[in-house]
Amino acid sequence: MRNEMTLSFVAIEENEALARMAMTCFITPLDPTLEEISEFKTIVSEAVTNAIIHGYESDGQSMVTIHALIDDNKVTMTVEDKGGGIFDVQQAMEPMFTTKPLMERSGMGFTIMESFSDKLSVESSIGNGTVVRFEKTFSPVTEASRMR
Amino acid sequence: MADIKQMDSIVVVTLAGELDNLEANRIRSTISSSIFTRKVSGIVWDLSRLGFMDSAGIGLILGRMRDLAPFNGETLILNPSPTMEKIFNFSGLGSNIRHGTVNSVIGEIGGVLHEK
Ligand SMILES: Nc1ncnc2c1ncn2[C@@H]1O[C@H](COP(=O)(O)OP(=O)(O)OP(=O)(O)O)[C@@H](O)[C@H]1O
Ligand SMILES: [Mg+2]
Repeated sequence: MRNEMTLSFVAIEENEALARMAMTCFITPLDPTLEEISEFKTIVSEAVTNAIIHGYESDGQSMVTIHALIDDNKVTMTVEDKGGGIFDVQQAMEPMFTTKPLMERSGMGFTIMESFSDKLSVESSIGNGTVVRFEKTFSPVTEASRMR
Repeated sequence: MADIKQMDSIVVVTLAGELDNLEANRIRSTISSSIFTRKVSGIVWDLSRLGFMDSAGIGLILGRMRDLAPFNGETLILNPSPTMEKIFNFSGLGSNIRHGTVNSVIGEIGGVLHEK
């Protein structure tokens, strides 16, 4: 199967749930397991939250864009903002590193995204924004599910 | 959605729905004040009915562990989903996880207190 989509929304926190829901629907035809769905949902939530609260400081006007592609069982997804950017990507990806400790961020977002995807890459520059790119291959459909 | 109950000196927080950044900000102060209104010996997070959680949940739980630190309060995380359990393990909270009923783990906090 091949499918492609783009979703854009303003940087308000309410849109985290919208993004999770839309992306979960998008991958449903791949017949993912419950655990695959919830891990994918978590990836979306982490990346979109980062774009909204770090990239745009929840400004309520700037747009976050998700682009996703399904090619067979493989999903490629980018989450993009044109916000503040990341000062040092390598440092940002370390577990427990956060620039917002007072807002009770734990600095685990990138660790979770890395663990729940097959491949993750981050492109960012100060003042220009951030693109996080994911790849995840879903387990091949079983005989039983193909017959449904 | 957060339902907060006081059982003796223990606070039981039962979460339902989706615990993300928005929800964590909504319920944080209520949970915090339930800890500060009296001497609390521990908190149990009952996640049996929670459908989703991301790193905001880690921030919320770690934040309340800091609230409880002055009283040496225990933190137990009850019945997380497999995905949540992975997230807790990445975050160093794996040893706080229990599977079972609220009553069985409350006994455990009581027991720990008794030894002190
Ligand atoms: N889209 C982004 N724009 C700007 N900065 C970002 C972006 N994404 C991440 N960062 C930076 O990288 C840091 C680490 O991100 P990560 O998601 O791992 O942790 P966090 O968001 O701080 O906390 P948590 O995700 O656990 O709530 C952030 O604190 C922030 O400084
Ligand atoms: Mg984050």
